[in-house]
This record gives sequence, structure tokens and C-alpha cells, in this order.
Amino acid sequence: MTRTEILIELKKVFAPYTTNKEMLDSINDETDLIKDLKINSANLVDIIIDAEAKYDIEIDYDSADKIINVGTCIDLIMEKLKQDK
Amino acid sequence: MISAGNDIISLNAINIARTKQYRFYSKILSPSEKALYNQATFATTPFENFVWLLWSIKESAYKYLKRNNPDLVFTPVKFIVAELLVPSRYTLTNFEGIQMEGPGFDNRLAIKGLINFGDNTLYSASLLYRELIVSVVNRDENFGNTFWGVKLIGENEASYQSTEVRKFLIDRLQRILNIDGLVMGKTPSGIPIVLNDSEEFPVAISLSHHERFVGYSIQFSEPIKY
Repeated sequence: MTRTEILIELKKVFAPYTTNKEMLDSINDETDLIKDLKINSANLVDIIIDAEAKYDIEIDYDSADKIINVGTCIDLIMEKLKQDK
Repeated sequence: MISAGNDIISLNAINIARTKQYRFYSKILSPSEKALYNQATFATTPFENFVWLLWSIKESAYKYLKRNNPDLVFTPVKFIVAELLVPSRYTLTNFEGIQMEGPGFDNRLAIKGLINFGDNTLYSASLLYRELIVSVVNRDENFGNTFWGVKLIGENEASYQSTEVRKFLIDRLQRILNIDGLVMGKTPSGIPIVLNDSEEFPVAISLSHHERFVGYSIQFSEPIKY
């Protein structure tokens, strides 16, 4: 799965939780989940759970602190997908 | 250096079924913290409320420490709530009214906590209602230098929440100090500050919003004369 493919799917993961729907169309690696997408921090665990289900991966405690911006999310998912091969 | 940390949770906005799932709450609670729920005083408190109580304490502690450590990232399970003292007279009730503010928590049935994060020990005070959780964290067990507030607002749109919580805090701070002209600003790392004539005012503040609730805490360097 390429970064672009993950990015497309990640938009669907973020969609229910962002109040900045306009920005969702133009997200890139630097887009911050809380500051830019206005996702409430209380929804960060929801995003982890939804990403786990979508990619059939497990995101452990230590990895969860990489959920900061879109780029770090993609890095984390690619890393977990590689581990599961 | 003083700091401030608060958090609020609108319990009507949480996903109850999901919160009860192990895969969800295990990303917030450590095994030792789950045992805190078995206190008799939590007998009438739903488990999902307990999970979000701990989340709000941990997020408040994270905000408190981030002010002086801007690179800190939030991993809930690394903030350990080691003690949680529920007042013996505590029972779960509805949040009444539109807003609530006060200096400290002396005359309230606040749940007091002790949090460890690395070498840091912090203290928390939380109010838990059926609809709402309010948490405030401090380096000192005494909250006499802390003023806090929570308010129900008309909309949950992000810019409205942001405007309302800033106005709520500034209005109260100006009344406490009997001055005007204070405005909100941010440090280069995004930490909220109060400005007076473009100079940073010597209080630490923390802001929070969730759905239709907004809240703040203000930490003063000396007890508040209120």
C-alpha cells in the first residue's frame, strides 16, 4: 500500500471527527490533527481504533504518541503493515 | 514556573459502547488504574464515566506539563493516576444550571487524584456529573491559587467554542483583578497566554472545550483574594 493510498483511506477515518471538512480535501503530511483539522483530543483514541480496524493492525501504547499529524500517522500505519507481513 | 492544566468532557458526546470495549479503554487506562474503579464510592458511577474521568485527569496533567515542555506528546497510559479519593458523601448527580466557577475546590465534592509522569507528581481535582466532567491539575495539593470555570454554550462549532471560552476566561480574570484591556495570545509553540499591553501577564491559563461545554483554569502565583 503506497502513502497516497493510505492518505486517501485516512481521510475517511478522520471525516467523522473533524469539524474542518474543507481542509480534509487538501490535507498533506504536515496537517496537524488537532490544530488544523480541529479534531477534539477526546477523539484521538477513536481514530486509533478506526485505523486499527481499517488496516487490520494493532497500534500499541508507545506507538499511539505518533498520532500527531498526517505524515506521522502514515509512517505509523506503513510501519505496522510491514511488521504484519 | 507556574503552569495550568484543565480538561472537560461532555459525557453526552462519548460513545458508551465503544468506551466499554477493552481495546478502547486499554489505550487510556493502565491495569493498576482499572483497579481504582473498584472503590465502593464508584458503585453508582458507570464504567464509561470512570474511563473519561481518568482521560480528563491525564489530559489536564499533559497540558500542565506541556507549557514548560512544548515537545511533550500525549500518551494517556504514560500518565499514571496512582490515587483517586472520592468524597464519602459523593453521589452521581446532574449538572445544574448554565455555568459554574470558583476559586479552588474546598466547598465542593471534588474527586482528588495523584498523577505520576516520569519524575513529576501532580494533583488533580475533578467534578463528575452525569453530563459533564471537569478536571483541573496543579503541582500543589492545595488549589487555593487556582480559579476555574465551566459553561454551557449555544453551539458546538469550533470557532464559536474558541471565542466563547476566551471571553469566559478574560471576563472573569478582569473581574478578579479589577482591570481591563487583557487579551488572549499564544506562545510560538501554541500555548495560550494572557497579554496586557502586548506583554505576557503573569498567570498561567488552560482552555478546554467539548461539544457545548467550554472551560478554563487560571493558576495564580499567590492565593486569590476573591
